[in-house]
Amino acid sequence: MTMPVPRSAYIHVPFCRHRCGYCNFTVIAGRDDLHASYLQALQMELETLGAPQEMETVFLGGGTPTQLHPDELRRLFDLIAYWFPMVTEGEYTIEANPEDIDEESVALFQEYGVNRVSLGGQSFDMDKLTLLERSHQPSQLEQCFTLLKSIPSVSMDLIFGVPGETLAQWSADLDSLLIFRPTHISTYGLTIEKGTSFWSRFERGDLLEVDEELQRQFYIEARQRLSAAGYHHYEVSNFARPGFECRHNQAYWFGDPYFAVGPGAASFVNGYREVNHRSTTTYISKVLAGESPVAESELVSGEELHREVLVFALRRLDGINPDWFFQKTGVTIESLAGDQITKFVNQGLLRWHDGRLCLTEEGLLVSDSLWPYLL
Amino acid sequence: MDCRNIRNFSIIAHIDHGKSTLADRLLEFTGTVSERELKEQMLDDMQLERDRGITIKARSVSVEYKHGNTTYQLNLIDTPGHVDFQYEVSRALTCCEGALLLVDAFQGVEAQTVANGYNAFDHDLAIIPVINKIDLDYARVDEVVEEIEQQFGLGDAEVQKVSAKEGIGIEGLLEAVIEHVPPPTGDPAAELRAMVFDSHYDEFRGAITYIRVMEGTIGKGDKIQFVRAGSVHDVIEIGQFTPQQTPCDALHAGQVGYVICNIKSLDMIHIGDTLCLNKSEVEPLPGYQEPKRMVYCGLYPSDGQDFKELRDALGRLKINDPSFEFEAETSEALGFGFRCGFLGLLHMEIVQQRLEQESDVDLIQTAPNVTYEVTKKDGTEMRIHRPQEVPEPGDILEFRQPIVRVNFITPGEYVGAIMKLCNERRGVQQSQEYISPTRMMLCYDLPLAEVIYDLHDKLKSATRGYGTMDYEIIGYQAADLVRMDILVNGNRVDALSVICHRADSQVRGRAVCKKLKQEIDRHMFEVAVQAAIGAKIIARETVRALRKNVTAKCYGGDISRKKKLWAKQREGKKRMKSIGSVDIPQKAFMAVLDKGQDKK
Ligand SMILES: Nc1nc2c(ncn2[C@@H]2O[C@H](COP(=O)(O)OP(=O)(O)OP(=O)(O)O)[C@@H](O)[C@H]2O)c(=O)[nH]1
Ligand code: SF4
Ligand SMILES: [Mg+2]
Repeated sequence: MTMPVPRSAYIHVPFCRHRCGYCNFTVIAGRDDLHASYLQALQMELETLGAPQEMETVFLGGGTPTQLHPDELRRLFDLIAYWFPMVTEGEYTIEANPEDIDEESVALFQEYGVNRVSLGGQSFDMDKLTLLERSHQPSQLEQCFTLLKSIPSVSMDLIFGVPGETLAQWSADLDSLLIFRPTHISTYGLTIEKGTSFWSRFERGDLLEVDEELQRQFYIEARQRLSAAGYHHYEVSNFARPGFECRHNQAYWFGDPYFAVGPGAASFVNGYREVNHRSTTTYISKVLAGESPVAESELVSGEELHREVLVFALRRLDGINPDWFFQKTGVTIESLAGDQITKFVNQGLLRWHDGRLCLTEEGLLVSDSLWPYLL
Repeated sequence: MDCRNIRNFSIIAHIDHGKSTLADRLLEFTGTVSERELKEQMLDDMQLERDRGITIKARSVSVEYKHGNTTYQLNLIDTPGHVDFQYEVSRALTCCEGALLLVDAFQGVEAQTVANGYNAFDHDLAIIPVINKIDLDYARVDEVVEEIEQQFGLGDAEVQKVSAKEGIGIEGLLEAVIEHVPPPTGDPAAELRAMVFDSHYDEFRGAITYIRVMEGTIGKGDKIQFVRAGSVHDVIEIGQFTPQQTPCDALHAGQVGYVICNIKSLDMIHIGDTLCLNKSEVEPLPGYQEPKRMVYCGLYPSDGQDFKELRDALGRLKINDPSFEFEAETSEALGFGFRCGFLGLLHMEIVQQRLEQESDVDLIQTAPNVTYEVTKKDGTEMRIHRPQEVPEPGDILEFRQPIVRVNFITPGEYVGAIMKLCNERRGVQQSQEYISPTRMMLCYDLPLAEVIYDLHDKLKSATRGYGTMDYEIIGYQAADLVRMDILVNGNRVDALSVICHRADSQVRGRAVCKKLKQEIDRHMFEVAVQAAIGAKIIARETVRALRKNVTAKCYGGDISRKKKLWAKQREGKKRMKSIGSVDIPQKAFMAVLDKGQDKK
């Protein structure tokens, strides 16, 4: 499998105002004092690229990129503009917190060609937002959509399965979002992960996880509602109006290479998957000391890579075109995992549809149980 | 060496009473090994013995001791104390005229003290009672003397009081041996008859056969014959253990030593066989019993590819340990493997540990079981080593299980607790008596199956470690036994079948199903786990189907993390056994040992 040069880049901005109770991302809360040295380190990490690299997609994620002050944000945009110049028709995404969206920030996005904003909205339900420890009000979301009218694509995240949530509550949440008809919606079932404050509350019994059956219903509800509203369910947790699928994320799922910079950022270049140090302070001190910030590096090649492509591409609901797979990897799906696939097809978890191999709805719901057999 | 100057004796005792330590002192006191060479329990030279701090194999040593103007040759045999290795003690006793019956000055007379003591009586040996560990602050020497007298009626014999650890009383003990143990009888000029009492395998020299010469003389270069095996060999070397192998020219009537011929496997040497000169017509000596395998279990390679490797490893072990046996078997669930027979659970554990150490085959072990007997309605008699062999309930006329007579010795206050344990296990009390004002001996007949699994552990916890037990097989008795099967989604998993008493089946069935429910991961479909007797389902648990299992976020950084997680799950699945489409983890095959709460 030949490795083309990356056409996608991810930049991680680790800062947040406060760490939400369910969050286990690479985040550092309440340390605005580190912004300057972070930007300094980021610049030095980018310089190791040697020369600017032309990109089809750039994704500025976090954390909260908009936690940077306007002049700091401008500096970040300048760095990106220099090192990762966009092709025309490129996709340039920034993640933003609803509280940070105002005329000034939107103007800044426009000035630098940001054409996609991903809003960490999570819910329109005040109780849910409070439990999730999010600091915005439902009404702020409405303002955001107005302010973001000039941005071609706006996506919003929506969480379901918050402790105590009912199906009716979730339906209402979906309805509230659909009023604004965002181009793209990502929706996630709340998971309680180790290392979060929710985890300790859960361990103590202060927080009850939503029953599995109900979680299933929430997910099915989202699928039905959003499909009925004209959204295409194109990946496990992503829905888009036709033509607004996130191109950047597709690179991950298709096994394409990508650059990544910043603390905890994961890249895939020349067959190597590398992850930077997750601690922001370690990341900064390493880079400033002239050392590599990489914490883990592994070469992924041969059958391992082919199987990886199989699994991650199958998470896309359109599934896999066998010709595409062969072109991409040089092996056929059949020779790689034919028997196992037949078994899953017989069990009703996978199916062949229009010449493509895809998950069935039942397969989608338990898909994590399939992957160990295919990897 | 003049026969009159030879003394052959064993050291026998309950486990841990200090036999091997006393052997150290005897080696040291007689100057057989120098202080520099000496290490603790030096006769326990197998790695496993050192790891566990117990004696597994009896060892003989010849020491010279000058007393007065005479030099004596003392052949001592250190024996194991654990009940699994009792047969080693019997063999050793056959080669001796005397025995040192060692009793811990604090623990006093315990179950194996009694068993081994009577064993020595049965062999008509001169018994010298020895109280060991008199150095202990809490030694209760007088009481223990009383216990010994009461138990064995050894009123006339003088009790030796020693500390093997501190080397107290050793000289007096040696004098007592010379005085009270009779010298061997037997004519060195008569026709050769020697008793084969043990053997071990040496990688370079082949089988080393341990003998006690009863009559006549054996010399290097002799052509000899094993009467029972019918095989003929040339003697390449003879000698004695001092404790290392020390060659000599001849062994005479009354002496204990070893013989090396060119023998490539221990299989060819039968313990209890008689060794004589080739073409000799002598009457063979009365042989002793074959070791009895009390426990059987299946051993399977978790990867079917390793079958041959496992077979070779078992073969190598068998060369060293003829008391263990194995034969190939197949299981629908586990594929090709072996049914293995052991002397007891400790022996089973030891064999398994050696297998793990000496080969790197990943093993699945099925639950251990004892040997049953069945008479079918058509008159056929069967011996059942594995539950799968039990015929259909309708074909069975009588189902019998091995019964053991168990002696418990305990401080009086725990008698009630022991009775409760035995009653729960359908024991029948035989007797109950005081062996001293504070200690009792209780005797019960119990099913062997009830004894081997966990009775020893339960006894220890019920008596705070003070109770001890010993058992011997007394025969087979009919009982209301059944084979309980386990079905997973309707498929019988043969390796999970067990034999149990009908009255226990409900509780055990429930416990096993519950345990399996915990062990089996949820699948994409519902998994029913059922216990059944014949066609009748007696317990059921359901492993619910997975309803939702899907990772939401999967972007750049999540890819390698998720992949690692799924790859780990994949490796786990590979080691599982697939029955129907249900993946059953290896650990689940031991779940049948779970007996339910009633006996906890
Ligand atoms: N205090 C004291 N401890 C002793 C004495 N003799 C032996 N021991 C200790 O008792 C323990 C058991 O000693 P061993 O010689 O292994 O006992 P054993 O009877 O050979 O045990 P098995 O072969 O397993 O039946 C060891 O920890 C010894 O150090 C003694 O005279 N005094
Ligand atoms: S805003 Fe997002 S990244 Fe920051 S702590 Fe909350 S959930 Fe985590
Ligand atoms: Mg010992």
